[in-house]
Formats: sequence, structure tokens, C-alpha cells
Amino acid sequence: MSDTPNAPAESAPRTTPRGAGKSVPIFSIGRVYTIASSTVTQLVRMKTFYFLLAFALVVVAVGNFNIPATPAKELSMIKKVAFGTMDIFAWLFAIVATALLIPKDVEDRTLYTILSKPVRRIEYLLGKLGGVLSVIAISLVAMYAICAVVIFSRESLFVAAEYDSMKASGQYTAAEIEEQLSLIQQQGLRAELGIAVLASFFKASVVAAVTIFLSTFASSSLFTIIVSILLFLIGHAHHMASSFWLDESGNSVVVQMMVKVIKILIPNYQLFSFSEGIVQGEAVVAALVWQMGGLTAGYLVVFLLLSLLVFVDKEF
Amino acid sequence: MSEPAVEVKNLTKVFSLGLKKDYVVAVDNLSFEVKAGEVYGLIGPNGSGKSTTMKVVLGLMAASKGSAKVFGLDSGDIRARNEIGFLPENPYFYKHLSGAETLRFYGKLCGMKGAALKDRIGELLKLVDLEGAANRRLGGYSKGMLQRIGLAQSLIQNPRLVILDEPTAGVDPVGSRQIRDLIMRLRDEGYTVFLCSHLLEQVQEVCDRVGIIFKGRMRREGTLDELIEIENQTSMTIENATPELIAEINELIRSRAGARVVEEGHSRTSLEHLFIQIAERSREEKS
Ligand SMILES: Nc1ncnc2c1ncn2[C@@H]1O[C@H](COP(=O)(O)OP(=O)(O)OP(=O)(O)O)[C@@H](O)[C@H]1O
Ligand SMILES: [Mg+2]
Repeated sequence: MSDTPNAPAESAPRTTPRGAGKSVPIFSIGRVYTIASSTVTQLVRMKTFYFLLAFALVVVAVGNFNIPATPAKELSMIKKVAFGTMDIFAWLFAIVATALLIPKDVEDRTLYTILSKPVRRIEYLLGKLGGVLSVIAISLVAMYAICAVVIFSRESLFVAAEYDSMKASGQYTAAEIEEQLSLIQQQGLRAELGIAVLASFFKASVVAAVTIFLSTFASSSLFTIIVSILLFLIGHAHHMASSFWLDESGNSVVVQMMVKVIKILIPNYQLFSFSEGIVQGEAVVAALVWQMGGLTAGYLVVFLLLSLLVFVDKEF
Repeated sequence: MSEPAVEVKNLTKVFSLGLKKDYVVAVDNLSFEVKAGEVYGLIGPNGSGKSTTMKVVLGLMAASKGSAKVFGLDSGDIRARNEIGFLPENPYFYKHLSGAETLRFYGKLCGMKGAALKDRIGELLKLVDLEGAANRRLGGYSKGMLQRIGLAQSLIQNPRLVILDEPTAGVDPVGSRQIRDLIMRLRDEGYTVFLCSHLLEQVQEVCDRVGIIFKGRMRREGTLDELIEIENQTSMTIENATPELIAEINELIRSRAGARVVEEGHSRTSLEHLFIQIAERSREEKS
């Protein structure tokens, strides 16, 4: 098939060649990127990043409370509030944004126009996930930067004040002063805190993948949000829940198999909780970090495949 | 060169409604072809299965039975979609994007980029007369403007086939005129257009061939002339006829053996006439 030869000469805005069966790559990163970046634009234009402003205000406010506590305690409190907020923002945003965006595309028939272009459904899902996760990553990095500045400035203030007062009293040896200062520094800005942010991000990506899976068959955003939050809560009591059910089902193989499947389908969010220890100044256990990374990747693959299974044959 | 743009064969689409026993037959053993280069109109009342047929052709839905092909490719084939531009009924696009950004988004999805894409966007904005609104967000577009940006979006990768689901629904007469002119221009430029509507006069104006669909079944199909012409009947349209003249004519006809006046009255759109006839017939069938 070639172009229609008798098209009027002056008309024809014809820039691309036409031809049926022009090959379409099996998978195109370019299309995923296009959908992801449009999702980022959408979220940015929904004024998502105003949240960062609110976050900065909270952290600065907490940093400037004059509470009667030791410097170490105060730093620890700033971190608790800041990293706690970051964590909640990440998973809650993952659920809400994912649950709102995909059903909205279906409702507005925007999805018809997207899928009637040469776009594969997996590319659409990956693009949406990528967009939501990019916004979360950017937000987390910005929030981390904000709290790093606050923590570092408080820490250096405390260290300088402590050093001056200990020196002035003249009762302490250099070693004792050193020890006291390192106690403060342990609660201060340390590179390990980055691992805690990473844990929040990984958790949010699993949450987003679960939400995408739910929204491929749920009929409303509200349902998706509620079920995702429920799974999130159950996932935090994973050990308790699974040991409870496993004990109960010592009888039949079928029930045991079902419990195993359910155990996989409800991600174990307890995996990520070691980051709370990191925030409190504990040492990082490398094995836990690797385990977290591996399982996150595993969950992402499983839930994306499940979503695709539903989404590929979905009719709109 | 005679490969049809769209080929629908014995297409049946059944929707089950919750319970297994309850179902709707939206499209019932439908067959038709849209030839390359023509404007084909599928007309039928609300709920007759027009949109469903289009969605199957686009691969958004699977057929329950039968098949749909686009330029010889199975409608589920992703390559077929390179050749199709689609404008859904009452389309919404991302409100947060401007007109030009919307076209860029869809162009990139089709693998276009750089200067070629930029030129194409410019051309299309001009074609649909939205150059002035190119940088405004779609949230502030009127219904007619949305419909036109939707049409531009469907043409972005220069497909051979454009599928339009009620392109003039909800658009005022002037806007609807603009859209019809655009469709005729597309035909002149060699595009194949497959549209559906229930606005008969408009279909009559732009379509080369028409299929009339009722309750998911094709009732009549053919070129406009074929459909409208009734071979052994002749109609006359007389201006300023006095009652005396009409009586005289009637008298004359009655005096000839075999001839009779089938119908008398003010002339109306003939396609509409046909449509209503078929509607009445299918209602009789039912009762
Ligand atoms: N997703 C669906 N689930 C169940 N029934 C459906 C679905 N989509 C369409 N139908 C039914 O199929 C029939 C045909 O619908 P369709 O939308 O194709 O009609 P249409 O000709 O486009 O009508 P309109 O002119 O109102 O757009 C209707 O009875 C409708 O209720
Ligand atoms: Mg319809």
C-alpha cells in the first residue's frame, strides 16, 4: 500500500510515511517515558509539590522548639518527626495518586485515545507507575535535603555549645569531651539516614504496585484506596497474621497452599521497618538492606505481572 | 489496492451483566466493509451498538464471535493501530495540558519526535483552526474546541484510517459545519473515514456509503443514492402548488392504469424518511 497518488497537491499535511504493518517494537522505553513524564506533569500541575513547602515549615518549626531536653534527644525528635512524615507521605501518596489516576483515565476515555495509539498495555501501566514513583522520589530527595539542612545546623549549634560549656567548666578531659560530642553526633546527620529514605521509597513502590493491581479490576477509586490501606495495615502485622493462620490450618494441604498464596499476595511491609532503627542512630545491617532490595524487586515483578494479566484482556 | 480499510465479519458482541443469565447482545452478527478512501457512516439510534462496533475494530474490546480487521491486520494487532486515528464520543483529554502539549503527547506515543513532530503539530493546529488556543490548557476549552483538538490528535501520526464516534455530538451548528468540512477535506486528501452518528442530515452530507444499524444488526447498507432511490417510484417537488393544481395532478394520475400516488406531503430529508421507516419496521417485528 502506498500513499494515495491523486491527493490534491496543495493540501496534504503529510510528513510521516504511511504503511500498514509498519513495525512496532515489542517494547518501547520511549513510550513508557512519555506516559511517565506526562504523569509527572499531571501531578505537578495538581500542585503536589506544595506539600514540600508544608513539610519544610513543620521541620523548621520542630527544629526551633525550645524543649527542655538533651541535645541528643532533641535531634532524635526532629528526625523522628521528619522521617516519620516522609514515610507516611511516600506510602499514602503512592496509594492515592495511583488509585486516582488510572480510573480517571478510564472514566474520561483518555485511555481509549492512548490505547488506540500503538501503545502496549504494559507500557501504559509501567508509565503510570514510573510517573508516580518519580514524583515520590523527587519529593523524598527534596524532603531529605530540607531535613539534612535543619539537622545539620542544629547539630553544629549543639556541638559547639556543648564543647564550649565543657571546656569552660574545666572538669573534663579531652577524651570525655570527645565522647560526649560523639554522642550528639550519633543523633546528627549521618550518611546512613539515606538508607532510611531508600526504605521509605522501596516501601512506597511496593504499595504503588499493589494499588495498580487493585485498580485494574476495582470499579472505583474509593474501593482501591480503602483496600490498599487495609492491605498495608495487614502487611505490617505480617508475622502475626501468617503465624496465626498457619497454626490454624495444620490440617489440609489445600488450606496451607491458600495461606501461602495469600502470604505472597499481602506484601510483608515489616521488611522495611528496620529503617526506624536507623533513624534512631542504630547501625545499618547490610544484609537487611539487600534483603529489602531483593524483595522489593520481587514484589514489583509479581504485582506488575498480575496487573498485566487482568489489564491485557480488560475491556473498556 | 482494493484491500478494505475495515472488514467486519459476523461480529457479535455480548455483554454479560453481573449474573451469568443476564446478558445484552450489543452487536449481532454484523458484517460490513469500509473501502479504502471512502467515508463510511454507521447510523443508528442510541444503544444500537455503534460505539461497541468501533471499540472492537480498535481492539479496545474483544469480539464474542466473528472478527474485525483493519487493512488486513487483526484488530488486536498493535501494528494496526499505527494506521488508525480515533476520536471517542464526548472525549476528554488531560485538562492540565495545553492544545499543543496534547498533540505532542500523542505524537510521542506514536514514536514521533523532533522537528517532524513540531511541524506536524503546527499543521494540525492550523487544520483544526486552534492556532490561537495552542497554549491554553484544555480545561478551558469549549466542547467544540475539544472535539477539534480530538480530531487533530487522531490525525497526528498521519494514519490512513480515521474512526470518529459521533464527531459532531454536542457541537453547535457552526462548529459542526467546521467539523464536516474537515471530514470532507480528509476524504479529498485520501484518508479513509469511518464515522458513526445519529444526525442523519449530517451523515447524508459527508458519507459516500452508509450502513443503518438497529439493535446491533445491519438493516440496510449501500451508497446514499442506492439507499434513497426507489426504482419504481418517482417523486416531484413542486413549489407554490395551489390545491387546484394538486387535485388536477392527482386526477391525471388516477386516470392512468397502474399508477397511483403513494404519498403526498411536504418533502423531507430522504435518509431520515428511510431511517424512520426502518425503525417502525423493527418495532413491528418486536411486537
Ligand atoms: N461495557 C458495557 N457493559 C454492558 N453493556 C454495555 C457496555 N457497553 C455497551 N453496552 C450495551 O450495549 C448496547 C450498545 O451500546 P453502544 O454504546 O454500542 O451503543 P451506541 O450505538 O454507541 O449508542 P449511542 O448512540 O447512545 O452512543 C447498549 O444496550 C449498551 O447498554
Ligand atoms: Mg455511542
